[in-house]
Amino acid sequence: MPLATLPTLTPALPEIFLAIASMLLLMLGVFSSEENNTRTVSYASVLVLIVAIPFVGLVTEGRTVTFGGAFVTDTFAVYIKALVLVSAATAIIMSKDYLKIQGIERFEFPVLIVLATLGMMMMISANDLIALYLGLELQSLSLYVIASFQRDSARSAEAGLKYFVLGALASGLLLYGMSMIYGFAGTTSFDTLANIFHDAHGHVSVGVIVGIVFMLAGLAFKVSAVPFHMWTPDVYEGAPTPVTALFAVAPKIAAMGLFIRVMVGPFGELGAQWQQIIIFISVASMLLGAFAAINQTNIKRLMAYSSIGHMGYALIGLAVAGTAGDAALQALGVQSMLIYLGIYMFMNIGTFACILLMKRDGRMVEGIDDLAGLSKSNPGLAMILSIFMFSMAGIPPLAGFLGKLYVFQAAIQAELYALAVIGVLASVVGAYYYIRIIKVMYFDDPVDELDRGISLEMKAILVVTGVVIVFFVFYPVPLLTGAESATAALFHK
Amino acid sequence: MIIQGLAFYMFAAITVAAGVMVISARNPVHSVLFLILAFFNSAGLFVLMGAEFLAMILVVVYVGAVAVLFMFVVMMLDISLAEMRAGFLQYLPLGAMIGFVLVMELGIIGGSWVIADNVDKNFVAPIVAMKTTNTEALGNMLYTHYVYYFQAAGMILLVAMIGAIVLTHRKRPDARKQNIGDQVSRHPSDTLEIKKVSSGSGV
Amino acid sequence: MVEFWWTYIWPVIWILLQILAIVVPLLVGVAYLTYAERKVIAAMHLRRGPNVVGVYGLLQPIADGMKLFFKETVIPSGANRIVFVMAPMITFSLALVAWAVIPLGDGLVVADINVGILYLFAISSLGVYGVLMAGWASNSKYAFLGALRSAAQMVSYEISMGFIIITVLIVAGSLNLSDIVNAQKESVWFIIPLFPMAVIFFISTLAETNRHPFDLPEAEAELVAGYFVEYSSMTFALFFLGEYANMILMAGMTTILFFGGWLPPFDIAPFNWLPGPIWFIIKMCMLLFIFLWVRATFPRYRYDQLMRLGWKVFLPISLAAVVIVGGVVLAFDISPLANAAASK
Repeated sequence: MPLATLPTLTPALPEIFLAIASMLLLMLGVFSSEENNTRTVSYASVLVLIVAIPFVGLVTEGRTVTFGGAFVTDTFAVYIKALVLVSAATAIIMSKDYLKIQGIERFEFPVLIVLATLGMMMMISANDLIALYLGLELQSLSLYVIASFQRDSARSAEAGLKYFVLGALASGLLLYGMSMIYGFAGTTSFDTLANIFHDAHGHVSVGVIVGIVFMLAGLAFKVSAVPFHMWTPDVYEGAPTPVTALFAVAPKIAAMGLFIRVMVGPFGELGAQWQQIIIFISVASMLLGAFAAINQTNIKRLMAYSSIGHMGYALIGLAVAGTAGDAALQALGVQSMLIYLGIYMFMNIGTFACILLMKRDGRMVEGIDDLAGLSKSNPGLAMILSIFMFSMAGIPPLAGFLGKLYVFQAAIQAELYALAVIGVLASVVGAYYYIRIIKVMYFDDPVDELDRGISLEMKAILVVTGVVIVFFVFYPVPLLTGAESATAALFHK
Repeated sequence: MIIQGLAFYMFAAITVAAGVMVISARNPVHSVLFLILAFFNSAGLFVLMGAEFLAMILVVVYVGAVAVLFMFVVMMLDISLAEMRAGFLQYLPLGAMIGFVLVMELGIIGGSWVIADNVDKNFVAPIVAMKTTNTEALGNMLYTHYVYYFQAAGMILLVAMIGAIVLTHRKRPDARKQNIGDQVSRHPSDTLEIKKVSSGSGV
Repeated sequence: MVEFWWTYIWPVIWILLQILAIVVPLLVGVAYLTYAERKVIAAMHLRRGPNVVGVYGLLQPIADGMKLFFKETVIPSGANRIVFVMAPMITFSLALVAWAVIPLGDGLVVADINVGILYLFAISSLGVYGVLMAGWASNSKYAFLGALRSAAQMVSYEISMGFIIITVLIVAGSLNLSDIVNAQKESVWFIIPLFPMAVIFFISTLAETNRHPFDLPEAEAELVAGYFVEYSSMTFALFFLGEYANMILMAGMTTILFFGGWLPPFDIAPFNWLPGPIWFIIKMCMLLFIFLWVRATFPRYRYDQLMRLGWKVFLPISLAAVVIVGGVVLAFDISPLANAAASK
């Protein structure tokens, strides 16, 4: 018996790079001098995440599978991974000042974000139920820790604990569902599962459907879609703000990518079974996101409900992709969803950058009322925040409007008219609270002024995201082609 | 074969009984002890199946390490069971209802369970009569086919470790620590001075 | 009826006989280990040690045993009775059960199982339960503190022991104890290639058996007698016997892993006249003597020093050793496992 050979590692190069880099970063943190090791490690982590992007981009087309079919790289993975890497890197950049102000400067913070990113990339590339679960757990575990990173604050600890307990429950549901599917098929590999369900022509036993429902529940928890959203407001409010910024973007995009991969990949043929569930989740999320946010006074809590709503809109695309039998329509659904996620990322990063600039006398504030009179004290910031709010509300011609347009169009093509109508109504309601923030900034009497200084990095983030949101309508091509080639990878068998 | 059969029923019965005791024992320390008993008998079941390596690892890891830490925590915490059970009756109807629904659902699923055709083709590691010991067979699978999972699990454990340290470790600047390097590198000539004292004259 | 006898009754009797053949000498060994301890330490202190009961005090351990046997078993009123009584039984029976897989000679073993070393490791990692249960059930703060210390100590040192065992496994290519000894027959005793590991392993066994200089759980001066402070008469005797039986077991384990088990030092004329088991016992006695010697020589470690040694010194070294030994075996292509597979 020969000593066995290793599987090819090249498709997993970015993941291996991140794994090794995270350990090196850890050592860098431990062995560099204590005063500024957080700063050093933060910069190094950002560098690592940025360097990982070209590694990810090595895949140009086609589909490579390795590790005995457990790991897949294709343009779909590249698209989602690029979004995740960018948002994780900006989260680290944005966290720098915040950590210092709150006195929680510790070098493990950026390292944990890098590890969480690694987990996200692993789940995006998962081609097997076990690989999916391991990636998800790596991601979640890192996020639980950074949610309670401000350990002396009761709210932060509560956020971490709540997230952990509910997340563990969701993982349990997910595993339970997986075990049912394994019990039916005797395999965890997505490719084999897809073949089995393909041969079944959409007729499967109750057990498999229950299994899929459980998996849906677990995944819906990770994207915080209604009715698995309860943790979101508390965690968003309690966690340190840069962590909230990360939560709102990177894990959501990664989990959405996973959602697409699981639903369209192995269970693509069973669309008739899960489409209605996705429709329900989508509608419920849009409505809850629109109505529950109205009364909020804390801007982080508001953003939590806003992100629930946005996930509802994005899930419209997945509902369209559930139209079994029509590959073109399915592709349209996924593509609109990917575009939506891309735009969502820019809007949210920009908004959270603004929230992180809300300081008074060197301390962070997060009430909506604190923004009163911002247009006079800091017109630039007020203007850029207004742009993001208009975009989130879906006011043309900003990017947010186009994102919504794409998913609604896809819904109409798939003859899911109710979904599109409810979506439009929900965004009208949602527009109320987004525009309320603008009203507070421009028309309310100023309370005490917010601090003015904006660091160079923050300026850069604000300008880049702002430019993308405003000018997307003139030059949408990069995002569109990216989403198109990503979608092609999923439907090209 | 009779002995194997008897052994199986013994291990299985004790495992189940211990499992019941884990959740019904009044004293949490007793619960942990019953948990250990359950682990131990599961190891026995593994041995009966010929999975001796797994049996031993179960004992080493779960009984020898994990349960010890459980026991540590349970012994140190002053858990008042009366307090824990205070809300028990209040939630009982709801809990019983959910339990009932779940059991019914499980019944439906179990009753209509279908297994895909040709499932045996899908197994990753077909069970064949191997000439190797099961340690070797396991190692051959774990480090080749499952190397990705193995490494991923390693990363998860690393995160768990970092997390535990980040969330609990506190620097205590006032704590005085021993620096062994300094102690060892100290030379007598740094601290001692030998003086010849002639008698009667003093230092 | 005859068939029934030969297939069911006789094997059971045969196994019972084997068990007796191991346990009786072991208990005698334990008794005389306590005697040897007192004599050796006395000699090192320039005292005479036990010399009244019998010739040279040789009957002293018997007298001690009788005394304990006839005393009253006191169970403290606040104690958890069942756990309190079970704890010494567990300690004692674990110390005996482990002997099932120890090969005293070529093929001279009760159960020659494939994962013998794991079995030993598993059993020795269970020893901590006797201690924890005793400390908790006594409902006394000294006993409880002693138990906590002891459990933390045993769990900590177990890890580096595990890693060292892995290095031996890499070199030997088997988890079977007889195969490990036979692998040393073909090459050299593993103490030579793995000398640093052998030293760390031996020190870890000291900690694992709560012996000096790691006897913090018992530390008379601080904790009276640690976890068994509330025990008396036979319950105490079981702890006592279990502890010494564990010492012998650890000496046996070290002999098998590093000192070639039953093998003579050189396979030439005067040495190989002695049968294997005798060599095995001689080697164990040497190691046991070192246990006693260490006790008479070293002062007790402080608790933080103990933990530091376990986690910051032994653990990194043994981890590195696994990597280095594995690397060397792979680089020079001397893995016995691969070679055996190639020759098949």
